Amino acid sequence: MRSRSIWLVVALSMVVAACSPAAVDTTTTAQPAATTTAGPAESTTTGAEPMVCEATIGFLGPITGPVAFIGEVQLNWFNYALDTFNAEMGYQIDFVEGDTQFDTAQAATLAAQFLDSDVVAAVGPAGSDQVDAAGVVFEAGDPNFTFISPSSTRSGITAKFTGMFRTVPTDDDQGPTTADFLIAQGAQKVFLVDDQSSYSTGLAASVVENLEAGNVEVITESVTQDITDFSALVSTIPDDTDFVYLPWQVAANGQIFANQMAEQGKTATIFGSDGMDSGDFTAAGSYIAAFAPDIAGVPGSVSLLEGFLAEYPDTNTFGPPVFAAARVILDAIGRVCASGQVPDRANVQAEVRNTDLADSILGSPISFTSDGDLAEGRFFIFQIEEDGTKTLVG
Amino acid sequence: MEFFLQQTVNGLTLGSVYALLALGYSMVYGVLKLLNFAHGEVYMFGAFAGYGVLTVLGGPSALVVPVWVVIVLMFVAAMVTSSAIGVTLERFAYRPLRTSTRIAPLISAIGASFFLQASALLLFTANSQTYDAPRLITLESGIQVGPIRVWMVRVLVIVTAAVLMILLTLWVNRTLTGKAIRAVSFDREAAAMMGVDVDKVIVVTFLIGSALAGVGGVMVGLVFGRIFHLMGFVAGLKAFTAAVVGGIGSIPGAMLGGLLIGFAEAYTTGYISSTFQNLIVFGLLIAVLLLRPSGLLGRPELVKV
Repeated sequence: MRSRSIWLVVALSMVVAACSPAAVDTTTTAQPAATTTAGPAESTTTGAEPMVCEATIGFLGPITGPVAFIGEVQLNWFNYALDTFNAEMGYQIDFVEGDTQFDTAQAATLAAQFLDSDVVAAVGPAGSDQVDAAGVVFEAGDPNFTFISPSSTRSGITAKFTGMFRTVPTDDDQGPTTADFLIAQGAQKVFLVDDQSSYSTGLAASVVENLEAGNVEVITESVTQDITDFSALVSTIPDDTDFVYLPWQVAANGQIFANQMAEQGKTATIFGSDGMDSGDFTAAGSYIAAFAPDIAGVPGSVSLLEGFLAEYPDTNTFGPPVFAAARVILDAIGRVCASGQVPDRANVQAEVRNTDLADSILGSPISFTSDGDLAEGRFFIFQIEEDGTKTLVG
Repeated sequence: MEFFLQQTVNGLTLGSVYALLALGYSMVYGVLKLLNFAHGEVYMFGAFAGYGVLTVLGGPSALVVPVWVVIVLMFVAAMVTSSAIGVTLERFAYRPLRTSTRIAPLISAIGASFFLQASALLLFTANSQTYDAPRLITLESGIQVGPIRVWMVRVLVIVTAAVLMILLTLWVNRTLTGKAIRAVSFDREAAAMMGVDVDKVIVVTFLIGSALAGVGGVMVGLVFGRIFHLMGFVAGLKAFTAAVVGGIGSIPGAMLGGLLIGFAEAYTTGYISSTFQNLIVFGLLIAVLLLRPSGLLGRPELVKV
């Protein structure tokens, strides 16, 4: 009996041990310690001893879960930014990664864990709901903790949190951009289907408002993210509909919707929001909005893209804003070190706030408003070609 | 009329899948009085088995064998995989608890469901996969039903489901094993005393029910396209609802319930709004249970007093 009890305790301990650290995976970059002498410190701090610039930054993203295709690319770009920065500067910046699983509770838990660690700033979370959940924890625990979301577009969210910034434009930019484009294309009737997430309903509301202001008739419907049969809904699309607008986060569902439209002979053109911008949605002739340009077309970013693709298998538009966010934090840490200080949450946030990049991987300047939004944010519109490639059209 | 016909075809397609899934819930409940909550995941693994065959044979764009061979092999692989998982669940997750309290196997079923979901996450990753069936069978192919054209894949799904349900009904009613299943379903102890091998009957029930779920998984992959590791949850919930509406434990009831849920979803979306789809479906469940607690074709449970 006693033996069984001991085994039970051992088994429980193993379960607890296996579960506890799983959410946060501490990883040290492979940079050898001998190369951590800081170049910039020597150049800006006259007569100072060569110093070691050390800090730990975090990554919060949906590495697993329903949108793991986003998290995987985001994590790869984060690693790429860190590795290239450490290699360029000779710094030793470590990182901690946290898997939000696109779940708000998990995001809040990870935020608390980051606050309890020596992480000075983080990239992420990806989704606005997760940003909201983590932001409350960061704000209550330490407003000096900086977190830069590379894909949260909900309007007004940065104003709620002292330490929040983002490297993507907002729904206030996407809604009018989308509506203006549809109106310019001659849209008279638009069939809009939200996916019942807060991202989707918020964006849908903005697009509806702007379309109706332009005297476009809008029919609104709603589905959940976990269904894959839209045929009954597709049947209700009026034949004189010009566009079907899908502000969705699961691009594969958009492709199914397109297939079922084709099956029923519906000829309206699909316009997908930035959440549909992935290789899973390839309906030729459709449009998608993206919060970042195709960086293959940004002259200064081509070599970065080539370097990334030499190490990682694939990318999409969710990646480059992560690189931009990571570099904002890393550059801020670099400036802190260059001024002879030890990076902490307060001085890193102050330097992030001072960010003023004339150019970036996104092909546009990066500086922030007092709330933390991009000072010059804009959305891009692509059309999908027959071969699946995208052409910038707006 | 055209619109009504289109929604009827939509509902029939979806209802056929729900009916196949609901049969598994109903058959297992019939012999074990167990709600097999892992049944949705068995269906999910069937979908992935079919996808595996499709991939191995070149994918939808570059098949190395004729399309009909691929589709048959996909169904076979799904049936074998799902049956193996179903029988394994019965052997290791349910049988040891058969004489335990009624709640124990229920909890075990929920645990098995999560275990299978997590296993699928590790095996197939969180990324959804797509059968890309329009490349297998073009959207232009199909049959003309009045004013509408029905895609050949939908025809395949509806006909396959109908044939399987007819075969199952004949098998249960006209074979010795079918009679044994009915006997165990009616009174397990009495059937055992009459020489029926109850363990074998239960294994056969899991085998058949899981195979049907596997077929349902491939059908969903073919007609709707996207498969992912969490796909079994909602489909399982709807199929379970179908089984309860039809009368859990009743094979014709499961078929009827599945079709009813499919039609309810299609007509709700078509004539009311997609927003209220789940509201109507589960409202239907509550209404049926209030009016006929044992379901439409279920028989009231007799209790000795």
